[in-house]
Amino acid sequence: MNLTTENALHGIDELLRERIAPEIGDPFAAQMARLSSLLLRICANAVEDAAALRVDENAAIRHLLADVGVLADGPQAHRLAQAAASADPGLAVSVLDAENHRLRCLLVDAQEWLESRRDEAAVVLDQRIWRHLEKTEARRAPRE
Amino acid sequence: MTDLENGIAHYLDRHMAQASDVRVHGLARIYGGSSQETFRFHAAWNESGRAVERALILRRDATAGLVVAERDLEYNVYRALAGHGVPIPGVHFLELDAQWLDRPFFIMDLCPGKPGNPFIPGDPYDGHGEEIARQFWSIAGQLAAIDHRAVGLDSLRNGALAAGFWSSELDHWEAILDEGEAVREPAVRGALRWLRRNPPPDPLKPAIVHGDYRSGNFLFTPDGRISAILDWEMCHVGDPLEDIAWGLDPFWPMTRHLPLGDGLAAWEAASGMPVDREALRWWQLFSAVKACAIWTTAAASFASGRNREMTIALSGIRGGHFHRDLILRMMRERGAMG
Repeated sequence: MNLTTENALHGIDELLRERIAPEIGDPFAAQMARLSSLLLRICANAVEDAAALRVDENAAIRHLLADVGVLADGPQAHRLAQAAASADPGLAVSVLDAENHRLRCLLVDAQEWLESRRDEAAVVLDQRIWRHLEKTEARRAPRE
Repeated sequence: MTDLENGIAHYLDRHMAQASDVRVHGLARIYGGSSQETFRFHAAWNESGRAVERALILRRDATAGLVVAERDLEYNVYRALAGHGVPIPGVHFLELDAQWLDRPFFIMDLCPGKPGNPFIPGDPYDGHGEEIARQFWSIAGQLAAIDHRAVGLDSLRNGALAAGFWSSELDHWEAILDEGEAVREPAVRGALRWLRRNPPPDPLKPAIVHGDYRSGNFLFTPDGRISAILDWEMCHVGDPLEDIAWGLDPFWPMTRHLPLGDGLAAWEAASGMPVDREALRWWQLFSAVKACAIWTTAAASFASGRNREMTIALSGIRGGHFHRDLILRMMRERGAMG
């Protein structure tokens, strides 16, 4: 069996929670050890699918931006089309996060523009974006 | 004595002209002071031939934390509200010069009682939940009834405004989001825009808003009495519904102990003002946005290394998710998802 980062972090979490924290006499330090173990557990559970989750989310945002672009025209339509056609520049989590931030900023702008239109197509697309945000938040929920 | 005990004793010795032989002992950090470091300690000294001993609290600036607090704000609020019916600790010294204890601090009385932790399972109020919740809402009403100018708190944020508090507070928290957000959160930004498009009416009068009025930020005694409202670092002038909405937030809900209608009735009786239920819904969404801004600051301060408290990191991760999820549920109720 491969000793993965996830596996190692879970091991440290167990050590802190079950063997070290109970031996600490100072209540503040003991509580910090327990909270450290919880933080480690959350991190451990986020390791395995960290890249996949970001790749999926970035693709979903590009898809939404493409659909907003259909309603737009001029420079805005061009900007949205460019973003929709873009690709993740790498698979390191920090790189994916930077791209995710860029795309999310564009999504915020796109949603604000849709809100200013209020025609049926814009309302439907705005609602799709909100449902996308629900789905994203659920997938990103910290796993304890 | 530890170094910090020595430092406190030295400070007290230099600032209490009548005291001699000042000793400090029993210094212990109090868990939960996330925005400022909080320590309890005992100070003993001789005064006019008489031995004096006091249980005190040291509140010292953290290197970074949940909120960016003005250093003298909490001390000034405690001073201003003394004797106005809101249970608060007496304050003694405010020191902004870092030469004494490395960072600015103030010293206040240790009040009787203990905090109830809303984040653990079970009853945080030892069977006194209902009576404590009634007091909680009554005290909030009493606070709302105080004229901030009459008690000298017009220098608080928004202190010179007569209206438009909702807009000023949105600006305030949006700026904090702008500063701390590493990855843009479209749900939070969408809620901000909804709040701006659907503003609430102005309050009947400006009120002193505690800013973090919630379960966990007060002490209660074994007989079920609230002995002190604490943690005033985010105090400002505004719409009193802001404190009500914050106290109702499902992250630390007072409705666990008393139904909403009863709580609001207690607030209305104490404040002499009605609660606009529709406006309260606006402030509840505002509270979720404000919470996200606070968690964003927490995450940023941990990520930067300026603060390495585990509570700060966990607040950023768990609190952030909780309140974004809450925003999405509130926006669904408002028809955002169709």
